[in-house]
Amino acid sequence: MDYAAYPHSINAGNTDRTNLANTHSIIINTKKAVADENEEIMRWLSPLDPRGRHHDVRTDRLDGVGNWLLETNEFQEWRSGEAGADGAVLFCYGDPGAGKTYLR
Amino acid sequence: MVGNTSSLVIDDLCHGPCEEDIAVAIFYCDFRDQQEQTSTNIIGAILKQLAARGEMLEHVRSAFQKAKMEVGGRGLRLPDMAQMLKRVVATLPQVFISIDALDECLPKHLLELLGSLRDILQESPRMRIFATGRPQVEADITRYFAAVVIVPISPNTRDIKRYLENKLEMDPEPEAMSDTLRADILRIIPERISKMCVGAATVPTPL
Repeated sequence: MDYAAYPHSINAGNTDRTNLANTHSIIINTKKAVADENEEIMRWLSPLDPRGRHHDVRTDRLDGVGNWLLETNEFQEWRSGEAGADGAVLFCYGDPGAGKTYLR
Repeated sequence: MVGNTSSLVIDDLCHGPCEEDIAVAIFYCDFRDQQEQTSTNIIGAILKQLAARGEMLEHVRSAFQKAKMEVGGRGLRLPDMAQMLKRVVATLPQVFISIDALDECLPKHLLELLGSLRDILQESPRMRIFATGRPQVEADITRYFAAVVIVPISPNTRDIKRYLENKLEMDPEPEAMSDTLRADILRIIPERISKMCVGAATVPTPL
């Protein structure tokens, strides 16, 4: 394409303007199609969506409670990766409600 | 309590030093959701969070498009899903996966899930897993992850006090409360509970 001639042709008439508007709407439609497909892929990967649950638990949580865990050597080493591949898994066990159930 | 712990850990990971480039995926097992919470769907839910982090990864997209072409849009099987997760993890600098309440997962799916995670972990040196559950799943975890680090969670006196103070602040009938009663509550209940928890925490921990 002759790029030098291009700006001139834009102003040449309504046909070019219409073409430009069409190109614009094609781009918008493509973006929308990709977004739709992404959503479809997400549903295909799993019907489960744990983010909402995290929000609920987080809202119920009391500030400061359980902070001691973050200060333990076990947690610190796991988080920083110092323990290497062997220390890649940290498991915390306890009964749900070990505190709350007794206090209710 | 344990659910709160994983939420606390996630917030700590997400709000760590800014220079860290980390991806965090979470999952909460729930016995009310057992039918849908299959090992494949759980791995998928983790994958979904990591794949959505930036651009949808091309290999996930092409696997989807390929599956769509097949008759009936074949659903994913666990090995396919685990393979995709492995590839997504490999594109990320550092990955943390948190899975809460493993005991609420059906035993069949729990074992499949642990098996898949172990396979992925073997090829993913920058991935770490945080899991919580009741004491009875500890044996399953150690079966799949021999070197797992185990920390028992029980509320300490400070946690219980903090909880009580919050409840007392929310007391709908504050006029029925006196300073003496309040002081007694804050002293006696934490004492009793920590005694109960010492009893529960004497379960032997390997190494």
